Amino acid sequence: MKNHFLFPYWCRYLGWGLVILHVPLSMLGRSHGMINIMDPQPRDQGIFAGEHLFFISTTLIMSAGLFLVAFAKEKIEDEQIWHIRLDSLRWAIFINYLVLIISLIFIEDVPHMLELNLWVPLIFFIIRFRWVIWRLNQSLKREA
Amino acid sequence: MKNTIRIERAIKDMTQADLAEAVGVSRQTINTIESNKYVPSTVLALKIARVFNKPLEEIFMLEDGD
Repeated sequence: MKNHFLFPYWCRYLGWGLVILHVPLSMLGRSHGMINIMDPQPRDQGIFAGEHLFFISTTLIMSAGLFLVAFAKEKIEDEQIWHIRLDSLRWAIFINYLVLIISLIFIEDVPHMLELNLWVPLIFFIIRFRWVIWRLNQSLKREA
Repeated sequence: MKNTIRIERAIKDMTQADLAEAVGVSRQTINTIESNKYVPSTVLALKIARVFNKPLEEIFMLEDGD
């Protein structure tokens, strides 16, 4: 199990930190957006426009946070954990494509679909992975 | 696949934690193997057999459905 690259254990906490940091930042972004809507001046366009950069940075913070949480090592990273990881990834891909196909058919909001597609696999992976580990711990407690 | 790990542990007076440490996995993994919820890899099965000084076939056996 030593051949597979994963981030060190402490990266999980860094990841949660980034995810939590995203909340006030995105709220700030929304209020910023509201000011712009009220502003009669047209919004800046282009890759280096302030709004776009803000959107990219907050999205990157959230994605990097989720990525670190999802792919940080467990305290004991053994073959069963690896098995659960792979199985959770399989489910995450299934769910992601299901959501993507449904949203392609019914939703026309492409930018939000991209955001959804960025986060759904990671969020679902984290939930499924942690849930299976929690169940394992519960069964261990019951036997103890 | 069934196994006799629980019996072998009792003979050697080992806890799940002792065995887990000896083969380098978590206690949860030993627990799920014992309760036949998880089938270990060949490497891990061989490591477990080595801890008990027994051939692999005496620790792990195929069931009819396998």
